[in-house]
Amino acid sequence: MTFLGTTEPQILALGTNRAAQPTQPLVHVLGDRCAGCQECVVRCPTGALDLDVTTWTVLVDQDRCVACGQCVRTCPFSAITVAGAPQVSPRLALEVEHPASLEHDRHETRRGIATWVDALAEAARCLDCPDPTCVRGCPVHNDIPGFIRALGTGDLDQAHEVLRRTTFLPDVCSRVCDQALQCEGACTWSLAGAEPVAIGALERFVADNAPVPPPAAPTRPDAGAADGLSVAVVGSGPAGLSAAAELVGAGATVTLYEQRDELGGLLRWGIPDFTLPDVVARRLPDALLAAGVEVRFGYTLEPAGLEQLRSDHDAVVLATGASLPLGIRLPGSDLDGVWDATRFLVEARHALTTGGPLPGVAPETDRPTVLVLGGGNTAMDVARSARRLGAAAICVDWMDPRFAPVRPDELAEARAEGVEVRFSRTLTGLNGEEGRVRSAELAATVQERAAERPRVVPNSMERLSVDLVVTAMGYRIDPDLAALAGSVPVKKEVPAVPDRRWIGSGILAAPAPPFARRQPVGRLAVGREQARVLAGLPRLERTWVVGDALVGPSTVVEAMAQGKVAAQAIVHHAPRRPAEPWVAPRRVLIGVESRGGTTAAHAAALANGLVRAGHEARVLPLRDIRAGELAWADALVVATWVEGFVLAGAGPAKATRSWLATLPPLAGMPVGLLCTYAVSPGRTLQRMRAEVERHGGRVVAGAARSGRPKGHQLDGQGLGVLLDAFSRPNADAA
Amino acid sequence: MTILAPPDQQAATPRAPGLPDPIPVALHLRPPKREGAEARFAGTDPPKGWDVSRHPRVARLLRSRRLQFFLILPNQIVFWLVIFLGLLGTVVPGLNFGTAITWYIWFCLVFVMMVVVGRAWCAMCPFGGFAEWVQRRTFWQRTQRTLGLGRKLPEPIARYGLLISVGSFLLLTWIEEFFNIAGPGNPWDTSYMVLGIVASALLFFLVFERRTFCRYACPLSALIGTVGAMGSAAGFRTRDREVCLSCATKDCMRGGEEGYGCPWYTWPGSADSNLTCGLCSECYKACPSENVGFFLQPPLTSVIAPKRRRADVAWAVALLWGLVVFQQVNATNGYAVLDAWLNRATHLGYPNPIDYLGIIAVVALAFAGIAWGMSRLLGRDPSPSTGQVRGVLGTLLPTGSAVGSPSGAFVDRPSRFRSFFVPLAYGMIPVVGADYFARQLPKFFKHASRIVPAIGAWFGEGSTHSSLYHLRLLSNPGIVAVQVAVIALGTLGSAWATWKIAQRDLAPVSSHPAATRYASVGVAIALGVAAGFLYVIMHAAS
Repeated sequence: MTFLGTTEPQILALGTNRAAQPTQPLVHVLGDRCAGCQECVVRCPTGALDLDVTTWTVLVDQDRCVACGQCVRTCPFSAITVAGAPQVSPRLALEVEHPASLEHDRHETRRGIATWVDALAEAARCLDCPDPTCVRGCPVHNDIPGFIRALGTGDLDQAHEVLRRTTFLPDVCSRVCDQALQCEGACTWSLAGAEPVAIGALERFVADNAPVPPPAAPTRPDAGAADGLSVAVVGSGPAGLSAAAELVGAGATVTLYEQRDELGGLLRWGIPDFTLPDVVARRLPDALLAAGVEVRFGYTLEPAGLEQLRSDHDAVVLATGASLPLGIRLPGSDLDGVWDATRFLVEARHALTTGGPLPGVAPETDRPTVLVLGGGNTAMDVARSARRLGAAAICVDWMDPRFAPVRPDELAEARAEGVEVRFSRTLTGLNGEEGRVRSAELAATVQERAAERPRVVPNSMERLSVDLVVTAMGYRIDPDLAALAGSVPVKKEVPAVPDRRWIGSGILAAPAPPFARRQPVGRLAVGREQARVLAGLPRLERTWVVGDALVGPSTVVEAMAQGKVAAQAIVHHAPRRPAEPWVAPRRVLIGVESRGGTTAAHAAALANGLVRAGHEARVLPLRDIRAGELAWADALVVATWVEGFVLAGAGPAKATRSWLATLPPLAGMPVGLLCTYAVSPGRTLQRMRAEVERHGGRVVAGAARSGRPKGHQLDGQGLGVLLDAFSRPNADAA
Repeated sequence: MTILAPPDQQAATPRAPGLPDPIPVALHLRPPKREGAEARFAGTDPPKGWDVSRHPRVARLLRSRRLQFFLILPNQIVFWLVIFLGLLGTVVPGLNFGTAITWYIWFCLVFVMMVVVGRAWCAMCPFGGFAEWVQRRTFWQRTQRTLGLGRKLPEPIARYGLLISVGSFLLLTWIEEFFNIAGPGNPWDTSYMVLGIVASALLFFLVFERRTFCRYACPLSALIGTVGAMGSAAGFRTRDREVCLSCATKDCMRGGEEGYGCPWYTWPGSADSNLTCGLCSECYKACPSENVGFFLQPPLTSVIAPKRRRADVAWAVALLWGLVVFQQVNATNGYAVLDAWLNRATHLGYPNPIDYLGIIAVVALAFAGIAWGMSRLLGRDPSPSTGQVRGVLGTLLPTGSAVGSPSGAFVDRPSRFRSFFVPLAYGMIPVVGADYFARQLPKFFKHASRIVPAIGAWFGEGSTHSSLYHLRLLSNPGIVAVQVAVIALGTLGSAWATWKIAQRDLAPVSSHPAATRYASVGVAIALGVAAGFLYVIMHAAS
């Protein structure tokens, strides 16, 4: 048997293990329907598939098949099936260590991979898929097979280098990511129903053991690309840190504005040491400080402050997070002893570090009880912190345990540490004495389906004596900041027709793998990708919004991914303050909706003229222009044919109107308008202008033309008004 | 897509749009196999100049999402009229619009379309069209959510390809004969039959994905697919195969923003015949590279040239030949005696299923037997790697040992018998097609003019006393002459196709190539002579 193109005995013994699964998979190609498109052939990890040139259908080498099912998921015509269990050895079991005495213990509970032997064994389980679904499942798109390949050869430095191309926080993400819904859930073994490669543990092995170079290492390919650019980054959580690191690496001058008195945001105050040791969380902040990033602590963003930032800097990144806790509106919620999770976690962290008592409770209280409202990860952190400070901790969540969004491993760890977690319970009231909370009224709830709102069961009340109540039911974006950033949070929507490259990878074909807790990993990944791409577009002029401030409460890795994309966009566009000399937009994107070719001909002529004037021009059908394409452009031209009749009302074509209606914010982008007509353009330009301005675009010129361009017009000379608008300052609409 | 940059900066201009996408870095797809593609498709790729979609007006028409709707709409109206007028109109079959249009006109027109174009009827079919509107929840738009379960036809059934359609055609024909629907008999029966087809189509479209009904279950699919191979529309094909091979999205198969994934499970990048192209133009609309064209081809190209010859097509031709021979034989006195004798013993009614299926099987197996005999006498032993000889019946059965690859699957499994039978069957397509067409001619020539009084009957003007009701376009001897001429033309087509096929496909597997060639042409002529003879003794019976 050959595997991964190697015959090294040790790798074979540790990797795909036929002895463990003696049943040989059987691949069946439906010859009637196989069209020989080779989508399976190019993606088969083991090279078990080939093309029979005579019939132009797929041939199978049954002996090479490991039943990963990649071919089944990728076949556009459902013409291939695989019978038999995945041929993979058992996943490495990682230990969780709970200290004998919890009191004030801050040691990390989750163990990493301890030995090279274990690391190599787990690395050998990776199939090194040609179209790795794990990479799409990872929100920041780490080259997972790449770093595992390097690790498999024993090259830690190379493995870390591969990770550094896409992530600044491998040590953090490997600890706090919910890999089951991301990379590991999307691993081809997971999609096939087996246990995935322990990607998180391998990443942690690399991150913890490889030396980390400074973020502004001169070896970066884009080093110096942003020299002279001054960027303000507001907030120093994972999104802000990532943006700052990317910008510093490219040579920009970065100023970090932080509300608290330390960098790291939620990584420092929000995640307890027993999950994310402070020494790990502060690595990147310390590296940025060492790289010369200027920091303004104690900064709170106000609406007027944003204007000041924009006048002081060339670009602004808002990474202010979603910091407003969701509260409770019940009798007694205003009593003393009712805290939100943020306050408790900050003070508990201090108490754990300094050996202090449980915050929020009188020191003399014997065996205090902390009631935590919520059953998610923050609630578990609160409860486990409370346990370490000598309290009894009870979490209540009104959802049915089948549907609660808690991670099973975190739930198990919390319960192992003595946290009492009660699902299908809800708080109905709080009672107090002398203004301080003393007891809580709880009621049972029922929930039949995940989408159903839990209902309270009548006559199921119980009273619980409590000394402190902590709300950990989630967060939202501060409305004042949301008003600043404009139309946030954005939804992580899955398009009706997702990118066919994503469909082709097969990640969407296995909607709910068991390892991913029956969650739709593919759709989740596509939704995250939409947000990642959107982060490349400014929400306001020269202002990018990233992380939780953009999408609402999310994850560390998504925030980091968005911060990196926004920073890349800033380097790409190199925006300048108004005080700087005017710079003509370099990249002009021309979107065309053409019926008979006349509009396309004018668009091509305009592109020729722009190129002659020194611009870079790109012509695309309007339907192909989305956030990713817009992120490339410094300026936009919308070209359309005119629909309708003079009397009935001529206007932009229906497809153009639909496209304009779904535009993302244009944030002051200069926009030119062009329409071609047979009899009269009517109010086409005015209607387009209104729609563009509704989305924040700045219309700098408009032109209406009849007939195809001829002669000198083929170089865009007939569209001088548009050429001029992109080539001279202070242009305004014609 | 156009990317332009100032000339002095073009080299430095990044080709990738937008911001860096880290995913491509992690991709290391195997290169698709390209070797041999040129030779593989040389005989079937239409000439570049035969791409009619290069004309802007045609391109605009094909790009329009409303195109197929407007092709289907007139037929939709006609067939709902057939249903309602069949049920509510006069019970005189010749005067009822439903029966008149269906059996005097439509069936003939479908055959003309098959022979001239291919699956033209499939592009405008109201049965699949109606069900597809329901499945897609729209008349023409590209909707993203379909109605129904979206299942795949189970592989154990789907592996037999066109034979499922042959089965449903045999069943429908028996029902039609049993109830004398096409006679035509009581118009109600025609209405029920059409309703039954619509309901079956709807059921299939709601249970299965895409046009599973049309590809596998439609009674006409095998007939149109095989006879349509004579047609001059190659269908939608790739303009540049390299673009298709390196395409990262395969929108034509998966569906894109503008078009659905091919409802017929056909990839323009590898199509080498018009067998499974429903001419719906979805791939043309979906392709992001504008690399799909609508091509014409010389007549009989899809009969003669395909490198991949499918066993299901071969058996379909044999069985369809058996059916049309039955329809000829059943107009003879000899058959009446046989059927009456069988019914006295079994009381199963006309046509007795035993003689119905028996005659079809005997004719199909006789043809297969001739091929088997030729393979024994003139064939060479296949190399061990290309399969084993399993006999005529053995090739119909699934194999347990070689199911892992298409070369072991039903449609492609090689054997010495198949190496003769399959190409020979392809060569018989013109004569079989001609036979079906000739079989419809008596009704057309005797009764086509009845469509006028049948329409007049809506307004109370039509009558069996009308001269048009009794007008015959040709006398019986004239009809026989036309039938024999059609058969002669089909025989000529088959003889020519077989001559070419024998040279291309049979010579390499034959120990006596010249003898094989003459024998193959002889078989084609013999079939034609037999069909012609039957038409002579039928005396233009309907």
